[in-house]
Amino acid sequence: MKKTLGIILSGIIFFPFLLLLGLSVGKDWRFPDVLPGEWTLDHWSELFQLQGDLTQSLLLSLGISLLVATLSTVIGFITSKYIAYHPKKKTLLALAYFPYVLAPIIYAAVLYFYFIVLGLSGNFFGVVIGQMIIAYPFAVIIFVGYWNKRMQAMEQLVYTLGGTPWQAYQKVLFPVSKGILMVCFFQTFLISWFEYGLTMLIGVGKIQTLTLKVFHYVNEANIYHAALASCLLFLPPWILILINKRIVFRTES
Amino acid sequence: MLSVSHLHKSFEQEQVLKDLSLELGTRQMLSILGRSGSGKTTFLRIIAGLEQPDQGDIFWHEQRMNEVPPHQRNIVYLYQEALLFPHLTVFENIAFGLRLRKVPKSEADDRVRQMIQDLELHGQQDKMPHQLSGGQRQRVSFGRALIVNPLLLLLDEPFGNLDVETRKRMQDFLKRIAETYKITAIFVTHDLKEAILMGDRIGYMRKGSLYLYEDVREFVEDARTEAANEIAFWEEVARK
Repeated sequence: MKKTLGIILSGIIFFPFLLLLGLSVGKDWRFPDVLPGEWTLDHWSELFQLQGDLTQSLLLSLGISLLVATLSTVIGFITSKYIAYHPKKKTLLALAYFPYVLAPIIYAAVLYFYFIVLGLSGNFFGVVIGQMIIAYPFAVIIFVGYWNKRMQAMEQLVYTLGGTPWQAYQKVLFPVSKGILMVCFFQTFLISWFEYGLTMLIGVGKIQTLTLKVFHYVNEANIYHAALASCLLFLPPWILILINKRIVFRTES
Repeated sequence: MLSVSHLHKSFEQEQVLKDLSLELGTRQMLSILGRSGSGKTTFLRIIAGLEQPDQGDIFWHEQRMNEVPPHQRNIVYLYQEALLFPHLTVFENIAFGLRLRKVPKSEADDRVRQMIQDLELHGQQDKMPHQLSGGQRQRVSFGRALIVNPLLLLLDEPFGNLDVETRKRMQDFLKRIAETYKITAIFVTHDLKEAILMGDRIGYMRKGSLYLYEDVREFVEDARTEAANEIAFWEEVARK
């Protein structure tokens, strides 16, 4: 009974993924056929053409998400420390929640004027900065609870042993905090990777990330390309999970 | 020689240090007894450069230290907890200060091996901090500090987390190692016996003021230290 239930549940969970995979290698799949009329790797082979739309979007998405995740994690880690030890910690932390309270898309729309003035509308760095509006405060919120008296004492110990503030980060704070840094990197990567509204608004449709591409294909009823783009969309997070599973899902031994 | 004059420090409305002055010769260990909240830790943090005084001067010989950042003072501040770096082995924890100073690897490694021997930590060098006992961790912490030849060692209740037996062993150990490495140190504690045992000189801190004594007798006779009361208590226990 348990086994049957397990199979049914697994089927429900994995069916959409299998369907996407099937669609990405299918052709002429018409109702009421149970299977596609033709199996082909044509859609996937497009990925190996560097000038192809999907390849460009995949690389663009990877570039944006890696940059957003790296910057948010590093800057969030450093600034959250100052916030955590600041006498006005609560006020500063409230600011980190601001983009979420206002809804990120509305917040970005309010700030859009500045993006235009600074020439950041419709370009790569504009989208990176736009996504950091939500990813960076998220990183601060993750890290702020991490700093405590013990971490502060450890940092100060490095100073009295002769270490500069940079050495304290390099030799102790970063290595000791590897686990939470990886978790934050992973989470901010996901925020950026699946981001649609902000990217659409600030990128004004010129920055075609993979997520935007999926919606684009869905809108034009191009189910095979939409499926392929979706497969690509969930591939990097899965790879990241596999790489980080020991850290992300670590249990205390 | 450490010279501190007219040190004042307040946090908001609370005055933590009041006109504190002190002179401490090289190779001396001053133990300071005081209750929680008497200002002992703030005093040590100011000497280490981790806090700035509101008023007053700190000199090491002729050099004014007030503006020297903590990493350039060569004054090591040790906490109640050993605070070993959890990602480094015992060997690398001890070598930490030498690596920061970019001492050539072979020389650094030789010094660490010698220190491990002095710390009586043979066979422990490849262990991670969580594999050590409380006393061993504290020894590594001392080794990590001593290996950089600090001008001054500041010990903030270093044995506070240890059980009675280990504490006794560590007190003996610190006395021995202080002798070997000829260290100058300020040892802060709220344990009367420990204060008497550890210091070449002894002081008592109360409400931000430091009282220094010529010898143990003068310390015991001062009613503020309550040493006489404690001695009387134990004599009373012994009579029963």
